Amino acid sequence: MITLAACLLMLAGGALGAWALRRAWRSPPEKGAGYRALGWAAIIVTLVWPSFLLGDTRGPFIALAIVSVAVLFVVATGATVRVAKTGKSGRAGRASDSLAPEPLDRPTTRWRNILRWLLAGPIGMIAAMAVGICYAVWVPGEAQTRLLIGGLIVPVVWGGAMAWTLADNRIVRATAVLVGTALTGFVLAILKGFA
Amino acid sequence: MTATARRKPLLSRVPADFVRAVLKGHSSLGLAFAAIIYLVCLTGSIAVFAHEFQRWEAADAPRLTTISPDAVQRALEAAIARVGGGVEHAYINLPTPDLRQASISVEKDHVQHGWIFDAAGNLVAPGDAPFSEFLTRLHINLHIPGSWGIFIVGLTGVALLSSLISGLLAHPRIFRDAFHLRLGGSRRLQEADLHNRIGIWALPFHVVVSLTGALLGLTTVIVSVLGMALFQGDTAKVYALFIPQAPKDDPRPAPIIDLRPMFPVVDRMAPGGRTDLILLEHPAEMGGAAMFNVQREDTRLANYDAYAFDRAGKLYHSARSSENNLGERILGAIGKLHFGWFGGGMVKIAYALLGLGLTYLAAGGVTIWLARRRDKRNPAPGLERLWAATIWSQPVALATTAFTTAALGGMVSKQALIVTWAAVTMVILFSALRIEAAVLSLWLKRASGLLLIVAALVHVLRFLPDDPVVWSVDIGLLACGGVLLWLARGATVQPVPAHAA
Repeated sequence: MITLAACLLMLAGGALGAWALRRAWRSPPEKGAGYRALGWAAIIVTLVWPSFLLGDTRGPFIALAIVSVAVLFVVATGATVRVAKTGKSGRAGRASDSLAPEPLDRPTTRWRNILRWLLAGPIGMIAAMAVGICYAVWVPGEAQTRLLIGGLIVPVVWGGAMAWTLADNRIVRATAVLVGTALTGFVLAILKGFA
Repeated sequence: MTATARRKPLLSRVPADFVRAVLKGHSSLGLAFAAIIYLVCLTGSIAVFAHEFQRWEAADAPRLTTISPDAVQRALEAAIARVGGGVEHAYINLPTPDLRQASISVEKDHVQHGWIFDAAGNLVAPGDAPFSEFLTRLHINLHIPGSWGIFIVGLTGVALLSSLISGLLAHPRIFRDAFHLRLGGSRRLQEADLHNRIGIWALPFHVVVSLTGALLGLTTVIVSVLGMALFQGDTAKVYALFIPQAPKDDPRPAPIIDLRPMFPVVDRMAPGGRTDLILLEHPAEMGGAAMFNVQREDTRLANYDAYAFDRAGKLYHSARSSENNLGERILGAIGKLHFGWFGGGMVKIAYALLGLGLTYLAAGGVTIWLARRRDKRNPAPGLERLWAATIWSQPVALATTAFTTAALGGMVSKQALIVTWAAVTMVILFSALRIEAAVLSLWLKRASGLLLIVAALVHVLRFLPDDPVVWSVDIGLLACGGVLLWLARGATVQPVPAHAA
């Protein structure tokens, strides 16, 4: 019951923060500072106070989920509904409406594509494992802690490597960095061994 | 640098070519993994309520809040007698606030047999929960045998994490568009606004579930590589750092291990704790052992103590969660953080909503790509049909399995549900060869909505449940069905432009 009441308070705090931030966002830059400060303050306070009531890690994680829902609710209430565009008129000018950048249209070859996906996939995975294992071996601390943090490093580094190699036009550079990282990481890890 | 350039927000100063290159990578990755991310996220959003669905499936099982050690012992002996001895492992789930039932599962010749038992320890119903099992396994390993399925899901988590990184880097208007949500006009703008707003404002949730999911999925591979690199291939040494060692193997037959004297010891060791699970190793051998997982009612995320006894009732291992190091605390928190099982009903609902938002991200990314192609007068009607079928086949297929479970109850197996799900998915995917995307979406929304409503009604009529949680599941199914029908009511089938046909 305490958790439920706390969640309702978090919803209110998150909604207040989002509402204030939206007010700031809609105001001219010179007039929105107060609302911006109120918004961020409300969100930060809502993320922090649950740690005292619901647990130092559990509370903030509950708040992260609840505040996200509250903010999305506020965003949804501010939706603007336009008349649907259909047919030819609907297509005209859509790109300029969004002002969104277009993905790069780069020239490529089949082999570059294969190499790019190999880098994003297995080679990136091996490099990430080398970094994670190297961390587990070299950083001081309890064995379980080093292994868990090393394990968490693996998906983060692999995900970063994936994002980078799929975006970078200089594929040879990406290859050199990932292969070098993998070799260095494993050699360093094997040299010291796990203790 | 000019004064104007200095005034520009940091993200607006990111070079346009860099943004476009990252967007290219984001787009490629999204297209490659969209379908599997969609499936994993959709099933994950529903699997948040796995315990509630277990109660829904066994709506006529006895509801318990506590159980006596005598009843647990009687259930253990009865279960071993039912399979005729030779049990290698047994798992006894005791009542929890989430799942108010007691069940036992015994493993013989690598086959599991399960029952629900009552307050006296009598085995009163089959312990299978085929729908919950089907749903959670679809999320965890896509029902692919061996380690491949779980690895693919882990890889999906990495792809999702990577998409979050590239999505952030490719979004220089993150603050300028922070509250824009323009619906109904240009399809591409609407989808991009939804994609970006959900992606940004729920980012902490997306990072938490993708990171924990990736780690859970990749554990086997990481441990194998770790074992090879540092332990001469012996992965058991890695696991031994986290799992208590079983007593020395002694296969000589023995009377069934007596759990009753262990309960008071656990009560003394963990006052106020609640035993949720008892794991037994070789319960009818001299080398038998029992491990009690005890939840401490406090505010820590990782709050399970573990106490292990040999068959003589001697405590040979105890691990108090309050004494865990950081690594053990992280390990104990990962599963809870991934599934949203750490803050009661409100957090579960929040996780389900945010999970559906993540599901929408995966679906919307491809929709934006298809809309962009249409904008450039290079439409892909075949891919539009295939994507519509991919997206809407899953609510229909999952609703069909829920309806089958509600209608047939204990007569349906997990394998039958897998076949049903696969058959419905395949039929709908093949129908995309002939049916337009808009028509397909419209009818599949209607079908899934109706199936969910009928599933709930059939379930209510069949069980007339007295458990409020079971009622809430039925009401949830009705509400989801209603939303799907409402979405279908708002949809119109637009005429296909002549040049796109």
